[in-house]
Amino acid sequence: MGNMIKLKGALNPLPTLTWNFLKLNQVDVDWDIDLNRRGDMIIQNIPRGVSVKMNGGILDNVSGAAGSLTTELMEKEKVETLGIRVEAGVCAEVPLKLNYVLGEGDGMLRRQEIVAYEGSEVTVAMDYTAGRTESGFFGIQTKLLAKKGSIIRLIKTNLLGDKYLHFEDIAGIAEDGARIELIEMELGGGKNYIGTGIELSGAKSSFVGNVGYLCRGQKIMDMNYLVRHTGRKSESSFKLRGAMRDSSIKNFRGTIDFRRGAKGAKGDEQEESILLSRDVRNKTLPIILCDEEDVEGTHGANIGRLSEDVLFYMGSRGIEKSEVEALMTKAKLDSVRRLISDQVTQGRIQQFMEEALDHA
Amino acid sequence: MSDSKAGVKDVDLSIYDFRYEEKDFYRVDEGLTEDIVRQISKEKKDPEWMADFRLESLETYRKMDIPEWGPDISGLNMDDIVTYVRPNTEMKAKWSDVPDDIKNTFERLGIPDAERKSLAGVGAQYDSELVYHNVKEEVKEQGVVYTDMESALTNYEDMVREHFMKLVPPTDHKFAALHGAVWSGGSFVYVPPGVSVEIPLQSYFRLNAPGAGQFEHTLIIVSEGADLHFIEGCSAPKYNVANLHAGCVELYVGKNAHLRYSTIENWSKNMYNLNTKRAICEEGALMEWVSGSFGSHVSYLYPMTILKGDNSHVEFTGITFAGKGQNLDTGSKVIQIGKNTSSAIDTKSISKDGGISTFRSAVTIMPDADNAKTSISCASLMLDDRSRSDTVPALDIRTQDADVGHEAKIGRISDDAIFYLMSRGISENEARAMIVSGFANPVSKELPLEYAVEMNNLIHLEMEGN
Repeated sequence: MGNMIKLKGALNPLPTLTWNFLKLNQVDVDWDIDLNRRGDMIIQNIPRGVSVKMNGGILDNVSGAAGSLTTELMEKEKVETLGIRVEAGVCAEVPLKLNYVLGEGDGMLRRQEIVAYEGSEVTVAMDYTAGRTESGFFGIQTKLLAKKGSIIRLIKTNLLGDKYLHFEDIAGIAEDGARIELIEMELGGGKNYIGTGIELSGAKSSFVGNVGYLCRGQKIMDMNYLVRHTGRKSESSFKLRGAMRDSSIKNFRGTIDFRRGAKGAKGDEQEESILLSRDVRNKTLPIILCDEEDVEGTHGANIGRLSEDVLFYMGSRGIEKSEVEALMTKAKLDSVRRLISDQVTQGRIQQFMEEALDHA
Repeated sequence: MSDSKAGVKDVDLSIYDFRYEEKDFYRVDEGLTEDIVRQISKEKKDPEWMADFRLESLETYRKMDIPEWGPDISGLNMDDIVTYVRPNTEMKAKWSDVPDDIKNTFERLGIPDAERKSLAGVGAQYDSELVYHNVKEEVKEQGVVYTDMESALTNYEDMVREHFMKLVPPTDHKFAALHGAVWSGGSFVYVPPGVSVEIPLQSYFRLNAPGAGQFEHTLIIVSEGADLHFIEGCSAPKYNVANLHAGCVELYVGKNAHLRYSTIENWSKNMYNLNTKRAICEEGALMEWVSGSFGSHVSYLYPMTILKGDNSHVEFTGITFAGKGQNLDTGSKVIQIGKNTSSAIDTKSISKDGGISTFRSAVTIMPDADNAKTSISCASLMLDDRSRSDTVPALDIRTQDADVGHEAKIGRISDDAIFYLMSRGISENEARAMIVSGFANPVSKELPLEYAVEMNNLIHLEMEGN
């Protein structure tokens, strides 16, 4: 037993409230966590023009969608911030890798910041790994500041164990002409609480999000994504694709918030989810908040079973229903996996998916 | 100048904004106390079970909180609301017997004329009580019952007792509890098995008294294989004090029955419209809601449908127009329980001149609802840069065996569309009016012609030059 702490409060609060019976306004947590600070962080491939050092936190004013509880916890536990700075005009040629390697019973909190100065470009790949059946706790907060004309590409791969409790708080700001890209593979973990909030404050700033998820077993995946448009002609595109199996639970909240003054802004959010068990529970709440006339906001969702046509077509070629389900799940996730350029990460995801689906 | 940019005026409510002085009306005191509830019960000659029901509802009301989501209703103070105002007349079956001032009110609203031309029956409520109720003989001969709720309590007590506030229990929310305590007026409809009512019935609710509340209860039972179109209209003159509408509509749609429930809500802009509507559908039933929300200062309105029976269906078509000083929170709720059920929600909202429009919905598909389908589409049009429009649609899917489609769109009138129409010789203002009319068309085309015309008049898409 290490250092037991209590985490009590609200995670993933909605930016606007709705009916309480939906139980989507926030997640009330009351957790006793063994914060033994075990687990490793391995930094690989620091590109030229990129600096990485501890105690580099400067983005106190950047907040996301996970709620204030995560920041309060980080401060209470005095978690040091890993500061990543990309010099102006630098185009980092290789992804900076942050590998978080955890084992049975580990409990770790991490905090990091990425600041891309004017005209720079960087890819940061965060891998969270534990053994498939292991339990533990991993909470992490990542803040992003994309200065004028810069690009931050954040890749997150969650391959934590089936009994891991995991929360994630990603908060970012994009200034004029800057872009934040997020590629996220949410495959592991037992209880996952993911909050991502991006503010497009700069003119012609943009956000592109692609999230693939797999919910299986008893897994809980609670997601709160918020894109706030305050900059003129800012644009956002968010796609969520995945599959639910067994008796898993998924709550997805996705908000596009057009603030007054964001003239010419465009936001789009799409969800494609396949449901592969009678016992799954899927809640989806796609919100558009619009305080500006001159915007275009769209939402779309397709959620449900595999179509009879697909099952019939595959069946007529001798493929059994369970195989079809595995194939279609892989196809959904592959559409996000392929966006990751790093072959090693792709391979690890592939292996995790195959093992997960074999054990389904 | 920004007003004229959109070229679309607020909904013109002036044709509804007239009033007559109260003459010898009976009023309870302002506020909500046990004595007042007992007084209402006594005045209405409630049976004992209803009197008890009211008091229990009052207790429930006191225990429940004001919702913390949705538009601000802090301007509504129940201590200032008069919950029961009875006009100086009994309910009549001939317009000629209705006192002149009240009759004139409904004539100006076009109700007697509509009755002659296109309705099978009419109920007209003035403040807390019905003042007129009539149904055509041929409809009566079909066995259809269309009467006021008070008469139904006497003549059809068992049926009322079996259904009254069973779909919307007082514990549902604070204003359902309030309704249970002080309800008065409203209509009761029973359509026997296999009977098709060829032309619609209509109830019209007029709230004339300043600072008053209207709490009418509508209970409709459409039996197996029967068919009904029911139209509900409502309006009030504008006062400087808050008025409250907390009605309740309960609809029972039997096996293979069909009910269309159309509403043109047109309350004045001092009204807090906290209304509750709910339908339950048995096997093979079809429920259709057509809803136009134009009036009120604040609205919370989400007609709900429970698809209990296999192969039952619901369609909800709605339009909301929020102008200056309005915060209209509208939408729909659906619970799909039976197998092979389907729901389709199609809504439009328009925000103008600082108005706030929110589309809010919840579709729940239960674990045994095999082969459930739902489709939700909401489109919002912003007509200026002072208004606001939000969409908050929730989906709760508890089974694999479902097909769910959702799309939402928020934006302004496209410059390309304006340019296209102008390139064909249409002025900019005409072009804008055409586009807004087209936007509202999916709702107006679902209404009978007379009401579509009324709705279009109501929208009053007048063009202005810049």
